[in-house]
Amino acid sequence: MIYNPFPMRVVSKREEAPGVRTLKLEFVRQEDHEFFKANYRTGMFGLYGIFGEGESTFCVASPETRKDYIECTFRQSGRVTTTLADADAGDIVTFRGPYGNRFPIEGFEGKNLLFIAGGIALPPTRSVIWSCLDQREKYGNVTIVYGARTVADLVYKHELEEWKHRDDVNLVLTVDPGGETPDWQDHVGFVPSILEKVAPSADNTIAVLCGPPIMIKFTLNALGKLGFNESNVYTTLENRMKCGVGKCGRCNVGSVYICKEGPVFTAAEVSAMPQCDL
Amino acid sequence: MTRILPKNRLDDCIAAWRSAGFSVLAPVRRSDLSRFEEVERSEDMALDLVLTERTIKDHFFPQTEPLIKYSIKKHDIDTQEMVPPERKRVFFGVRPCDASGLAIDDPLFGWDYRDEYWFKRRDNAVIVTIACTTSDDFCMCSSVNLSPDSTKGSDVMLRPLQNGSGWQVEALSDRGNALLGPISSILKEGSDATASTASVPVRFDVDKVMAWLADPASFESHFWKEISVRCIGCGSCTFLCPTCHCFDIQDEGDTYTGIRRKNWDSCSFPMFTMHTSGHNPRNTQSTRWRQRIMHKFNYYRGKFGVNSCSGCGRCTRQCPVDMGITETLQAITNLTK
Repeated sequence: MIYNPFPMRVVSKREEAPGVRTLKLEFVRQEDHEFFKANYRTGMFGLYGIFGEGESTFCVASPETRKDYIECTFRQSGRVTTTLADADAGDIVTFRGPYGNRFPIEGFEGKNLLFIAGGIALPPTRSVIWSCLDQREKYGNVTIVYGARTVADLVYKHELEEWKHRDDVNLVLTVDPGGETPDWQDHVGFVPSILEKVAPSADNTIAVLCGPPIMIKFTLNALGKLGFNESNVYTTLENRMKCGVGKCGRCNVGSVYICKEGPVFTAAEVSAMPQCDL
Repeated sequence: MTRILPKNRLDDCIAAWRSAGFSVLAPVRRSDLSRFEEVERSEDMALDLVLTERTIKDHFFPQTEPLIKYSIKKHDIDTQEMVPPERKRVFFGVRPCDASGLAIDDPLFGWDYRDEYWFKRRDNAVIVTIACTTSDDFCMCSSVNLSPDSTKGSDVMLRPLQNGSGWQVEALSDRGNALLGPISSILKEGSDATASTASVPVRFDVDKVMAWLADPASFESHFWKEISVRCIGCGSCTFLCPTCHCFDIQDEGDTYTGIRRKNWDSCSFPMFTMHTSGHNPRNTQSTRWRQRIMHKFNYYRGKFGVNSCSGCGRCTRQCPVDMGITETLQAITNLTK
């Protein structure tokens, strides 16, 4: 019933970057897994929790093409995430979801894809990336632009390595000035300026953009200069949530409930929201 | 000829409902705040109150309620949903504004994911409303398209007789009809005149308010800062509101055993929207007050086709700094004159 989470067993955990962990979770009960398989689509979110501490909201980082498990990636910052970060293989945590809307990836078929992510916002983007890469033949060129403050802060390093070596993916990595290491061979600079430099074509292209608000703001400017229409740019918003199902009353931006009408929006939809409520 | 419930048979009425398995709740005076409580005798009822200070919302969406009992052993977790018992309850002497409040919140708790904690209580409650013959300076039902005798959310409507000897009885739903069964021998036929309902002046123009709120330019108006400068963010107006439904979910217990609870929360509080990162979309009292007004008279309407206000006026009546929704909506009405 509503509010009662699924128990999830921790299969493994991975240190992605300082303070950032990925947990791979499997369903304890078959019926919960069936529900997830029937309902999960890329872009949806969940509430991850530990009884005694509470629940935190973040995206499902694994793609809709791989539904045997759930991966979640989070920065250890509050009470719940600190306890989740301590969970070991075999431990039981909880999941409620999947909630919210999704990236309409069927509509992306036959188009070029441009993924842009900053820092800890790669996880939601990565769910869409793999959902598309797992059906690679349906899409045109795939470009991934990913930046973090420092080399250490890049998450999913093993997958970045994999994408780098695929000839059907164009991976553009960058770190903020000062965040590079002596052996860093990729770009140095902020995501918006690197994006302008790489200048992917807006022609027949869908952009998926996730990152901190300030990065989104400047990247949208850059995309505008490159000729992208706001209705072809998708992003995902987050806000503090408690229920996840449109009742507890806090996650709205203007009249839009992030948990119900989101978390996935086009840039055009975001522009229509009262900006000072974001 | 209509059915009449004589006032001097009220104790028989309570007894009949109790023997039919109902608990009877009615307005009761308390040294702190008057409220609805279970009563066994009519003399405990405070039916002369214009309005109880606390709302009947307390009995459907309690200030704190257990959701889930959990117990955890290392690799095993046991949860038990603490759904409220199906207890038959009569709420006697509800005011039309409070009855409407329940009806306003029904779609919120029911859309998409159904909140059984609300509906288990709703489905087993019968609302017996008494039309208002008195009002005070804070009542504002007539300003939100309701009235001192509106029937929204009620199962039975009682209209006081002019001679004060009882009430004219009208069943408004199947549940209300069924409730009159056990007291059919108490009710009598009569044609006594009913007292005139209270006269509640219209205090603001709700259509103008809605139009102004719907204008995107209003969102960033300086108006919000001026009108909310007195607000101390105490949350009283939200807790005493019959339609405010925002809540928090918190665990009470430890790593091994405890209870996950749903607690009232308030858009007046800074923590309500605070991100873990420290970013807060509504980081000032004026943005929080704007949220409250917008939610009630714009957003809620957009989702459920009705304003989230039943005009009880408690937000103004109980505000420690003498603010409240009425003043804001009057100011908006004047803005657009």
